[in-house]
Amino acid sequence: MFGQLRLVHDTLQMQGDSVVVTANRSERKLSNVTVPVNIVNAKQIQQTGALRLTDILKEQPGLTMTSGFGAGVQLQGLNPDYTIILINGEPLVGRTAGVLDLNRIALGNIKKIEIVKGPSSSLYGSEAMAGVINIITDASTSIPLQASLRYGTYQTIDAGVNNAIATKSIFYQGFYNYFTTDGYSIRPNSTSRVTTPIERYSINQQLKWNLSDNTNLAFGVRVTDEKIKNDISVNNGGATITSSGNENNTDQNFNLSLNQRFSNNLKTSFRGYFTEYNAKQDLVTLSGDPYYDLLNHRFQRVENQTDWNVNKRLNFLFGAGAVWEGVKSTRYDSEKVRKNNSIQYGFTQLEWTPVQKFILIGGIRFDKNEAYASAFSPKLSALYKVNAKHKIKLSVGEGFKAPDFRQIYLDFTNAAAGGYSVFGTAQAQQVINQLALKGQIGTLYDSYYQLKALKPEYSTGMHLSWDYEPNANNFFSVQFFRNDISNLIQVQQVGAYMTGAQIFSYLNIGRAYTQGIEVEAKHKIYNHIIISGGYQYLETGDKDQIDQIKAGKVYTRDANGYSKLLSLSDYVGLPNNSKHKAQFKINYYHDNGLFANVRVMYRSKWAVNNTNGNEVFDKGDEFANGYVSLHTSIGKDYKNGFTTQLGCDNITNYVDAANLPNLPGRTFYATIKYQIFKK
Amino acid sequence: MKKTVQSIALFIIVSTSIIACTKSDTATVLPVTAVTVHDIPADTVVGLSAQGIPITNGKYTFYSLEKNAIVPNTDSATTKWDIAFMATRIITNGGTSGTGLGGAFVYTGLFDGLTSIPTDSVFKTDNAPTSYAITTGSGKGWYTYDGLNNLITPLAGRVLVIKTASGKYAKMEILCYYKGGVTLPATASDADKLNKQRYYTFRFAYQPNGTKTF
Repeated sequence: MFGQLRLVHDTLQMQGDSVVVTANRSERKLSNVTVPVNIVNAKQIQQTGALRLTDILKEQPGLTMTSGFGAGVQLQGLNPDYTIILINGEPLVGRTAGVLDLNRIALGNIKKIEIVKGPSSSLYGSEAMAGVINIITDASTSIPLQASLRYGTYQTIDAGVNNAIATKSIFYQGFYNYFTTDGYSIRPNSTSRVTTPIERYSINQQLKWNLSDNTNLAFGVRVTDEKIKNDISVNNGGATITSSGNENNTDQNFNLSLNQRFSNNLKTSFRGYFTEYNAKQDLVTLSGDPYYDLLNHRFQRVENQTDWNVNKRLNFLFGAGAVWEGVKSTRYDSEKVRKNNSIQYGFTQLEWTPVQKFILIGGIRFDKNEAYASAFSPKLSALYKVNAKHKIKLSVGEGFKAPDFRQIYLDFTNAAAGGYSVFGTAQAQQVINQLALKGQIGTLYDSYYQLKALKPEYSTGMHLSWDYEPNANNFFSVQFFRNDISNLIQVQQVGAYMTGAQIFSYLNIGRAYTQGIEVEAKHKIYNHIIISGGYQYLETGDKDQIDQIKAGKVYTRDANGYSKLLSLSDYVGLPNNSKHKAQFKINYYHDNGLFANVRVMYRSKWAVNNTNGNEVFDKGDEFANGYVSLHTSIGKDYKNGFTTQLGCDNITNYVDAANLPNLPGRTFYATIKYQIFKK
Repeated sequence: MKKTVQSIALFIIVSTSIIACTKSDTATVLPVTAVTVHDIPADTVVGLSAQGIPITNGKYTFYSLEKNAIVPNTDSATTKWDIAFMATRIITNGGTSGTGLGGAFVYTGLFDGLTSIPTDSVFKTDNAPTSYAITTGSGKGWYTYDGLNNLITPLAGRVLVIKTASGKYAKMEILCYYKGGVTLPATASDADKLNKQRYYTFRFAYQPNGTKTF
């Protein structure tokens, strides 16, 4: 009974004054946070029928899902490489081509997801360039047992169990999830399934031991194991090679923390974290040739953070840590040898509240890296509460993204596609020199002589937002953002073999920007219905390309196929970015437990392919069509602990196999859940 | 049929200009007209091996810019052809490729904008297999190759400036590498990408009077 009341409250809250931990690395009320934050709570996740992290993120303002190398998230126009994904503050590793597949994360025991927009490297270091997505698991022990089962189109089954035990000083919470889908094929007459048959197990165990009133020890384990039956067709010089086999990805995280509260104003925590991601592809082609690919990424970290409330006006936070990480891969010179990097870092943040209406936060972090150049990340943000209804936030910060292991250590020659090679910067010059001694190098470009240790990629981000909350039933917010990115690491041809085959490596050469406006609005009617909407307008561009266009050096083609000069007004910026994105949702919840929702998502066209003979994306290139997708679900929370839910995703059955492989056609599902409430 | 008409027209221009030359010492500059040629095969795929590797005949298609016509392979050792195509490689009748005075270079700019060949231009000749007057390779000569989608796209703003077998000048813009004159979409079938490739559509202007102006 108690649980029911809590649910009602969760569902109908507006922006509310929830607690945010990600923005300041310390618990703060949302009303005192100086940077743009979105919070998705457990109830929203459940009522949306979302199973994996991708399902829920794609419905959030400012976020777009990408589909190469798994489902990644693009934040305010920046690619998946530039957003750090945390679980309870600890980073997930194991990216393929910069993309962390968000399907890895089951949502069954998630308390909330916090999305912080804007560079946050001053607190989180590398990858926190576009923003931070922090997934906070539910460690509460108020529900001793909960079980859920869902069945849906494509033989999709999701089964989950949560259990919790609490004694006076020990709190345990466990989560088990099994997910399987048969995959689906949206290309007519094709045996190639867009999503291949997948089986995933996820286990999460959390244990907290209160040693005293002021000291606790927490231990957590999270394991995800997925098996993907992989039937892939590869086009090789016009010939199609079909191979089949299995892909096995394992993600393991262990964390241990000791938290000590010295007084109400001073606390510290020591955290240790170990994570390993192992991805293995073991395939055999139809002609019997084996294909084997391995990626293993290990990440270990120790960290201390201290929060000191100096006085009512001053809050001080500081910390330091060390990271050891290493990657083994078949794509490096030897899969037996782990390539390592170590990082030492320190950070501090000062929060100053001179008057109640005004909060100013300054932070700085320094990351010293063994394998590449060090990075220095400052950030300044401020909040001004004009009055009870109006709030203005401004933040300016530096973000960085370390070169990844592939850019430093890759040693890859594609024998199939013309014999081209890609060498990481660590050994590119050395390897090419050796090849030259053997007489295999035909030409070396100027770029070869520019090769040196890579620097991180940098961004400077600025966010200005205005929140308007006239009363408890209405919320409106508008946000302007701009990110300037420099030192972008790009693949560059550095030479050619005698055979003419190209040799590539990486250089810090690119410059780009993203800018736009984000609008959000919520309105509550009759205490039962919340109508909410979001819209993002986005502009992006490659600054070097823009300079080239202005200088009259970029050409495109007219309707006859004849070349013409490209004008800046025909330039569309970076690929895979939609200018307009919007979502509209209606959520209904009644006190008797009945809930229903309708969600509409819109994304305008985006450039996917360069087809008119220049290296830039312009209006004459190939675009994916803009589209609308419509989703709904209806369900009921019963007083006896049962919840039933029926849902339909992608009601209009919009599919685009080439550009949206992660969007299946219309799917239906039914869920039943049972939870025992604490008496 | 259309091509024949164009050839005749060109022939008339050629002959009149020769006559003009003989009559007076000053070369009369007649405006040259650009001609578009469609779907010239360039060693197209004829089948698949048992291993699924595409099979071609491995032969060039020779072309005369002067006559605006394909030249039979039996004339490959003559100066009857000016330019030849095999897959993405384009050769000119000179250097290691032929007995003519031919050569070429790739000019960055617009076809119509190139009204006269800059005086400091250097015509390169083929030196097979190391280098070609029209540079081979993705992004370096006249095309880019998109390995992900397996598509060849002619670079925009590239003009092939050609010295013919007889030492005359011509300019050429490659418009398409696929049959029908439209580059296939990324989503085209593998079969289409295989069988419709290696068909050139290009436009060119040939200056018969020996000057470097168009």
